[in-house]
Amino acid sequence: MVTQEDVMRALGSVPGPDGKTPLPESGAVSGVTVRDAKVFAAIAIDPAQAKAMEPMRARAEAAIKGLAGVQSAVVTLTAEAARKIGEAPAGGNGAHSHAKGAAPGARAATELPGVRHIVAVASGKGGVGKSTVACNLAVGLAKLGLKVGLLDADLYGPSAPKLFGITEKPDMAEDGQKLEPMVSAGVKVMSIGFLVEEGAPIIWRGPMVMSALTQLLREVAWGELDVLVVDMPPGTGDTQLTMAQNVPLAGAVIVSTPQDLALIDARRGIAMFNQVHVPLLGIVENMSYFVCPHCGGRTDIFSHAGAQREAEQLKVPFLGEIPLDAAIRANSDEGRPVVDSMPGSPQAEAYLRIARAVAETLSAGATTAKPAPRIRLV
Amino acid sequence: MAWPTDITASDNGRRLEVVYDDGVAVQLSAERLRVESPSAEVQGHSPSQRKIVTGKENVRIVGIEPVGHYAIKIVFDDGHDSGLYTWDYLRELAAS
Repeated sequence: MVTQEDVMRALGSVPGPDGKTPLPESGAVSGVTVRDAKVFAAIAIDPAQAKAMEPMRARAEAAIKGLAGVQSAVVTLTAEAARKIGEAPAGGNGAHSHAKGAAPGARAATELPGVRHIVAVASGKGGVGKSTVACNLAVGLAKLGLKVGLLDADLYGPSAPKLFGITEKPDMAEDGQKLEPMVSAGVKVMSIGFLVEEGAPIIWRGPMVMSALTQLLREVAWGELDVLVVDMPPGTGDTQLTMAQNVPLAGAVIVSTPQDLALIDARRGIAMFNQVHVPLLGIVENMSYFVCPHCGGRTDIFSHAGAQREAEQLKVPFLGEIPLDAAIRANSDEGRPVVDSMPGSPQAEAYLRIARAVAETLSAGATTAKPAPRIRLV
Repeated sequence: MAWPTDITASDNGRRLEVVYDDGVAVQLSAERLRVESPSAEVQGHSPSQRKIVTGKENVRIVGIEPVGHYAIKIVFDDGHDSGLYTWDYLRELAAS
């Protein structure tokens, strides 16, 4: 039977955070739990040094595992709140400190520092190719010379890792507080898919999803971005509401296939954004038509121009149509967005046109997004 | 639609003034906002579930938080903070 004392003795061989003092004497061991043959230990460190402390953590884990009778050992690094008294909470999100003494006339605290425009790519219905459009739109915007990020907000079905061909895991940023986004095809990408195994399901209830989403949004070192494209999950649920409530979206792009069945749901998505006053940048008609590679004949598999008609009816800009195309599908599955891997092709051009239209609307400030009101308590 | 440019709580949190970009300014008392809170705690999930809130003559606004692009959350000193007041709702409330 392993005891706490045994564990501490084993840790005596591991130098603590200062690199000299053995862990037990360094005072950094903040907890040891032994359950059956499983050992859990926590080491408190300065969060800024999280990365540098990893080897120490691994050595501590190995030392405990080396004890006779230990089946498994988990050592975690915990950050002590090094916050000084009177200092604002991390992130400086004024939302909780506005009561009195908040900067008079402070604007909405919901903004993401450094990010100029946040654009949601949404669809009412799944399977219409929204993620592929979001990915290629982001790459297209980057090709136009903008600094672009993509946040995969589809926590239950993340597809950004696959679409961008990213298999590595993100690193901790320098400050030890945020995650560094991955970069592919000139776009900074963050997805829950980087953090869980491919194929592993996320089985979470709504509140968990919301807090994970807020973390993916705010605890990532996006840096300076002109546009952050958010790939929304399909539908009009929790995630969409959280996004609408937590960040001032510059606008939304709705993706739909041309058939009526999909358009009904697209209309729902549009109505939702209207309700929360998120301006619509336009509608994209995906899988618009199919050109047979053998005979060159064109088939409107899901009918045609339905999204365009819908856009006219709802007085929303029509951003363009993307064909149903084997090259787009194949490249997407291989993690090479066509805008990047097939420059100059009609497929890439189709996406670039949409990117241009979005960029123009954003730069003209023509999104009907109005500035947040000044809120004051006097 | 009219968009608010300034939202100001004054008189020690007892009044709220909203100025819209069409030049209209509306005034609402904290009491009115509290008893007419759009929160499900007050409105229920259907008109028949609506609760009559009383005894809030002296309630004060202690916080206002922006919600996305379309509403504010008002925090009252009695702990009520679950009502999201949309731009339209504030205007309608003042008009009725």
